[in-house]
Amino acid sequence: MTRKIFQVADMNCPACAMRLEAIEDELPGIHRIDASYHRQEMVVEFDEAQVSLAQILQAVEQKGYHLLEKET
Amino acid sequence: MNVVIAFVTGLTTGGLSCLAVQGGLLASSLAAQLEQDVQQQRQPRTRRAAAAGASKPGMAAPILLFLAAKLAAYTLLGFLLGLAGSVVQLDSTGRAVLQFAIGIFMIGNALRMLNVHPVFRYFAFEPPKMLTRYLRRKAKRDTGWMTPLVLGALTVLIPCGVTQSMMALAVATGDPFSGAAVLFAFTLGASPVFFAVAYFATRLGSRLERSFNRLVAVTVLVLGFVAIETGLNLMGSPYSISALTRSLTSAPAVTAEAAPDGVQVLSIDVKNYGYMPEVLVAAAGSPVRLELNTWNTRSCSRAFTIPALKVEKLLPATGTVVIEIPPQPAGSVLQFSCSMGMYGGVIRFN
Repeated sequence: MTRKIFQVADMNCPACAMRLEAIEDELPGIHRIDASYHRQEMVVEFDEAQVSLAQILQAVEQKGYHLLEKET
Repeated sequence: MNVVIAFVTGLTTGGLSCLAVQGGLLASSLAAQLEQDVQQQRQPRTRRAAAAGASKPGMAAPILLFLAAKLAAYTLLGFLLGLAGSVVQLDSTGRAVLQFAIGIFMIGNALRMLNVHPVFRYFAFEPPKMLTRYLRRKAKRDTGWMTPLVLGALTVLIPCGVTQSMMALAVATGDPFSGAAVLFAFTLGASPVFFAVAYFATRLGSRLERSFNRLVAVTVLVLGFVAIETGLNLMGSPYSISALTRSLTSAPAVTAEAAPDGVQVLSIDVKNYGYMPEVLVAAAGSPVRLELNTWNTRSCSRAFTIPALKVEKLLPATGTVVIEIPPQPAGSVLQFSCSMGMYGGVIRFN
């Protein structure tokens, strides 16, 4: 299980966090997504055998957001 | 407040001054819709649209069901909040404090939307993850007409910051039916805009959405200041904008006439749009008989208050009500206003 923290500078309301969290049901291999509008960040726990980081980034960008990796 | 008036208030953004509070709530709701409900609605809808080959006509029914359920849920909430408000009766000072809180909330939310500083993000309430996850999975699991109904009703559980200040207003009415009417009007008034935004969400470009957001933010900011102004008027403060402009402009003051029994008589015409005259002058040290005249007056100006004297009178639609004011010291100023702090005036004692 891989855990990554991203900064999401373009979240502008709590609903954006909900939108990002919806990805956990949309892609296979994602265990959990916690997004916070207050902290402007998104924590992803995923299985690299099932889903790649590139796929996650693509899903996020399709929703109109841009990620900046903070730490692993 | 009349249910019919509240209904009309919800539909219009509030051209008339007495509707300023509700207007603020309507504009606030735009922000709320953009921020929360549209996003929630967008998920199941786009999926359904994709499944149905992106057919547009099918979208209207779920949005309407969603709105109907939301309307019912918020009306019930308004009833309960008004009931709570009637148990804890608020005097004009209590209402003023509530107005200040609403004003600060609105200004904070406006500054948040304008992205002034990260600290203002905390004015937006983040619903618990467990709740949003539950709602999302429910939307995914169930299909058919039940889903929008249930989701619409459940929006009551995740109100955004500005909706919460609206709920505070329902408490402030202090009456279950007025509270229900306020939230009903608010939700209904927001519905057409919500419908349009939800319906055309896919076509609304992000740039357009951003400038629309900014417009809403500025509106909320202005109405936040209106709420604070209302609070100041309710407290009878001489520092509200309307009190300050009254003291600056030399409005023709009306001086009291002496009645045979040594009591001074002042008369105010209570109109739908305010009090005539707004500035009155009386001699210090002797009692004043204040006559309030109404002719077919329907607006909130009928709820007459003098905060400093703890006077609160609901005037009849047509008639004359007399308020006896005890002798006041020289140089003192009595502020009067309607119970919502929209209209006001002063009596100066020389």
